[in-house]
Amino acid sequence: MMIWDDIFLEVDFWINIVSIALIVIGIYGIVFSQHLLRMVFGLGLLEAGVNILLVKAGYQKEAIAPIVTQASDTMMSNILAATAQMVDPVPQAMVLTAIVIAAGVQALALSLVIRIYKKYGTLDSHVLFLAMERDRHLSLNQKD
Amino acid sequence: MSVLDLDHVFFLLIVNIGIAVLWGNRPFVGKILTLLYILEGLSILTSYHVLLSGAVLSSSLTFTVMQQTVQWQLGVSGGFFALITFMAAGLATWFSSGVWARSYAPIRLLHSYMALNVAAMLLLLASNDFLGLFIAWELVSLVSFLIIAINGGRSAKAAYSYILYAFLGAMAILLALIIIWNATNSFSYVEVRHHWSTMSVNRQLIVVLLLITGFGIKMAILPFHRWQAPAYAYVPAPVAAFLGAISSRMGLFALFIVLLQVVGIDVIQTLWLPFEIINMQTFLLWLAALTLIIPTFIALRQTDARLLLAWHGIGQGGFMLLGILSANALGTAGGIMHVFNHASYQAALFFAVFSVSYRTGTADLDRLGGLVTRMPISFTVMLVGIIGLAGLPPMNGFVSKWLIYKALLDEGMPLLFLAAVIGTLGTILSVYKLIHNTFLGQLRLEHENIKEVPWSMSIPMMILASIVFITGYFPGLLLESIAAMQSTLGISVVDYHLGGVNTGKGNLNMIVVVSTMLMAIGMGALIFFVLGNPRKQVTQWDNYAGGHFLTSDMRYQYSHNFYPGLMRVISPLYRNTIFWLESAIVSTVQFMAHISYALFMQANYLLYLILLVVISLLWVLAV
Amino acid sequence: MQDSLILLVVLPLLLAFLLPVIARYLGNLSGLTGSLLLLFNILLLANAWNSVGYSPKVILLGGFAAPLGIVFYIDKLNMLFAILTTIIALLLWPCRTHNTDVREYVLWLLLLAGCYGVILSGDLFNIYVFYELLAVASYGLVTLPATGASYIAGFRYLMISALGSAFALLGIALIYSFTGSVNIAHLAQIIPDHLHHIWGYSAALLLIIGFGVKAELFPVNFWVAEVYSHADKRVTALLAGVVSKIAVLIILRFIILLFPWQDIFNFLLLLGIIGVIVGEFAAFYAQDLLRLLAFSSIAQSGLVIIAFACATEAGIMAGIALAIHHLLLKPALFLLASHCDRSINDLAGLAKSSPWASALFVILALSLLGVPPLPGFWAKLLLLQSLMAEQYLLLLVLVLLATIVEAAYLFRLFMLFYQRQEMPEQKRITIQGQELYPVITLSGILLLGLFFLPLFMDSLREIAMQTSNIEAYINTVLGKVQHIGEGNI
Repeated sequence: MMIWDDIFLEVDFWINIVSIALIVIGIYGIVFSQHLLRMVFGLGLLEAGVNILLVKAGYQKEAIAPIVTQASDTMMSNILAATAQMVDPVPQAMVLTAIVIAAGVQALALSLVIRIYKKYGTLDSHVLFLAMERDRHLSLNQKD
Repeated sequence: MSVLDLDHVFFLLIVNIGIAVLWGNRPFVGKILTLLYILEGLSILTSYHVLLSGAVLSSSLTFTVMQQTVQWQLGVSGGFFALITFMAAGLATWFSSGVWARSYAPIRLLHSYMALNVAAMLLLLASNDFLGLFIAWELVSLVSFLIIAINGGRSAKAAYSYILYAFLGAMAILLALIIIWNATNSFSYVEVRHHWSTMSVNRQLIVVLLLITGFGIKMAILPFHRWQAPAYAYVPAPVAAFLGAISSRMGLFALFIVLLQVVGIDVIQTLWLPFEIINMQTFLLWLAALTLIIPTFIALRQTDARLLLAWHGIGQGGFMLLGILSANALGTAGGIMHVFNHASYQAALFFAVFSVSYRTGTADLDRLGGLVTRMPISFTVMLVGIIGLAGLPPMNGFVSKWLIYKALLDEGMPLLFLAAVIGTLGTILSVYKLIHNTFLGQLRLEHENIKEVPWSMSIPMMILASIVFITGYFPGLLLESIAAMQSTLGISVVDYHLGGVNTGKGNLNMIVVVSTMLMAIGMGALIFFVLGNPRKQVTQWDNYAGGHFLTSDMRYQYSHNFYPGLMRVISPLYRNTIFWLESAIVSTVQFMAHISYALFMQANYLLYLILLVVISLLWVLAV
Repeated sequence: MQDSLILLVVLPLLLAFLLPVIARYLGNLSGLTGSLLLLFNILLLANAWNSVGYSPKVILLGGFAAPLGIVFYIDKLNMLFAILTTIIALLLWPCRTHNTDVREYVLWLLLLAGCYGVILSGDLFNIYVFYELLAVASYGLVTLPATGASYIAGFRYLMISALGSAFALLGIALIYSFTGSVNIAHLAQIIPDHLHHIWGYSAALLLIIGFGVKAELFPVNFWVAEVYSHADKRVTALLAGVVSKIAVLIILRFIILLFPWQDIFNFLLLLGIIGVIVGEFAAFYAQDLLRLLAFSSIAQSGLVIIAFACATEAGIMAGIALAIHHLLLKPALFLLASHCDRSINDLAGLAKSSPWASALFVILALSLLGVPPLPGFWAKLLLLQSLMAEQYLLLLVLVLLATIVEAAYLFRLFMLFYQRQEMPEQKRITIQGQELYPVITLSGILLLGLFFLPLFMDSLREIAMQTSNIEAYINTVLGKVQHIGEGNI
């Protein structure tokens, strides 16, 4: 019982749970919803989950922010000593980039959703799939 | 003669292709092309003595890839086949060079494709290693596809089925080559032969079977025989003659080289099929025998003269294979000789049949008859041809078939001998049907004004007919190069002379046989014409039955449903098994194609990705 | 000298952001600047080719040494793909079409910057970033025709691609949390031995599937048919020819350097062969030319993946040969096909109205089929040899049988082209002149390459040797640590 208590109190554990839950919900939203907007939202959740996992990769318990406070002291040994207690800064940099990319992709997806809605007046992915196939068929047989 | 003679031939072939492509439509170009083919044949013939002595004609053309040097050298076997090729192509072009060309619109295509075919075949014949062989093989398949598809419609369909079979064969060959390469690290014949035994017995078996399949498809050996007849029948006359004469013999040539030179017949004799059911050689011999019998009897059922001949072409291919695989000096000689013989009479027969259909507009045996007085030259040519095809003296077909029979008996294979005889029986029956329904019997009313074909068409026919006769009279002409071939391949050599062969138990001398026959016929004719000849010349319409005059529109000759009694007995044996098999494969492919396509056309396509990820992660857990 | 190769990525990015401004002053001429840039890139690469020579080089970005700093890794394989990408991009550059929107140029430049970045990057996260850049640009390009269908196709493509990228990122996160590094050379020292357990496998699969989306790996390639048939022809050509091969290149690097485990190879072999079979069969069924080519390119990608998954030197050589062949050939075929974008049966008698186009199509398709002596045959021969060397007999047979199916639908197409009966006048298609130039150039490169076949084979073998040399990769990237590290810090 003691072990379980430890685990439940562990921040790590809850971060994992939350991020995996986000990923699962996101995947569920993308794959099983027929509504395009829900798919985009699912994508947002999924990417948030992945980002949390990524930033967690550099997490260290009771460490300090990765800032070298004594800027004047550039001795190699000091920096190394400081990094031992720091949170790993690299995942944070990566997550920042990933968030920006994800935001861009989602914005693009939303703009496509708007265009699609203007053309077809529906956001049901099955209906739209059929519409796409029909358009293809028409364009193949119409040209002359 | 320089050793690089092959370069001259290649150069001439390029000129040939160029002329055909650029000026194929001009009226005299057919004659020029004929001359060029003859020139090419002559340039090989002039250095033929070099080949006979065991040397090779090589070409300066060469390239190196994957540490393999690919070069082209024409040995005596290649030279022999090349001569047949040039003969067939030259005479076919001659046939098409005159009046015939005017009635055929895509004549330029025909000339070009023919030249391409000859060039590709020469590349094949001169190839000196597996890589060169395979390249040339694919080229031959492609240009054959072109020339088969030339008429569109039915012939295009046949060409399509041909190219699929050809690709099946090519892939089989490629697989065999890859297995060989894996074991021997080489493509050259000599190296492969040297390292052959490094392969496990199973591998050897697979390779031999794959090679037989691959090359056999070109000559339509048994389970793959369905493509050939329609492909060779529905093409224009010169093409049919050319294809029927030599095209499918490329498969035989490759098999001959691969089985006898590279693998060696002794290796094949030691190979057994799984569970030691049957020896490889016996298996192949029976395959050849079935290839002889079944297509021959399918030919018997045909009512289209062209299809009949084309089916016979397949059957005679089985005959050649039977001879070559018998591992006997006489048999090999007979098999190779039959290639030449078959080329000569098959081309002659196709010319005759197409001459008839040129004049009458049909090759349907139910709609012809009595043309002997209208087209005497074609009749004579066909007579000579069918005697050759049936393998009766005095024509050349007799010699090769006799050699093969003799070899089968000598090797102690009486059942195979019986099979060969049954095949020949089918041949005799169907060629009789051919000549009877075309030239003999009652002349049809609509054919009253039919004339003999023009000289440009009849001269090539007559040349072929005389070749059929002369090589039957003096088989030693051919046996000389066959003996040289056998000695270069290192197999037992036939003991020949100008008139035939010597065997331990007696010999065949065609000069004696034919001279005797001619004398007998001459004496008979003398008796018939000089010593009293109570006959009266009547026209073909002057017919009576039971004392009643028969008007010319009344049909009293039966040509439909020939051999009804025989057919009643054997017709349950025609099962169309391969046809069913073929359609089963086609529908399976279509079914698979439909499923695959439907797989891709999914509204919820993301599911696949997730499924893949989940499954692969589960797999990781399992591993 | 080789440091100037950084310009490959920098210049397109720079120009992409400047172009809207330039366009304001130069108008339609602004397209030319892109062509000039690509020409400059070719010169740059040609110049660097010799200096790279036999040993790979590393560019340190920002002066930090690996594994901490970001590196560009330059060897012959990367250079080769960069050169081919540039050539194809130059041929497909949309400046000939009138009234091209400046946004199209921008997207093209971004796509190219992404391509170069992916090819040259030496660490996982940078590959991810450039891959996303490339992906975002391609979403934009796919939807350029502004038809409803292209929007839908683009959206579906975006979704599956983004999902794949998210998985790849998850894989990177996994790897980082176990190793604390994203530098490939550094990881190549750690992963093969120390991560040979469940998490390593999971990361490998996530990465492969994630990048497999663009590599047309089997079950995640369902966007291919719809995107290729709805997008602009040049974009299709670029996606099918270049982008998919670059994604395969990433997978190659992964399985050689990071995950050299037999189970992963088997996984890829399985997916590859299913891709080949399903692709060929679907192409057999397809009723329009663009879809047919899309499915056939799925099958070809499957072949490349099989070759790479042999993971031997011969396999890599075969894979590179197949990839290069397909990279040059598919764009040409797609360009030809885009002019006859209609149901196959309407193409009867095409050879009459556009003889050159159909002749080129036939030659290229024969090469695709692997008919000797065309270049495709040699690539396929290499593949078969490498499969045989690993004793994958079943795979060998399946590949050969798939080739027969391929022959079936291609020859059906040829026969339609050369059919005597023509389509009625208003349905006839004429392709000639300018439209053929890129196709002729590409086929010219392919056929001329045939004359230098032995030379080409030798250099391919060299490249494959270099690629499969893991030690050299690690030493090149990490060997510099001491050298520069001492001076800088």
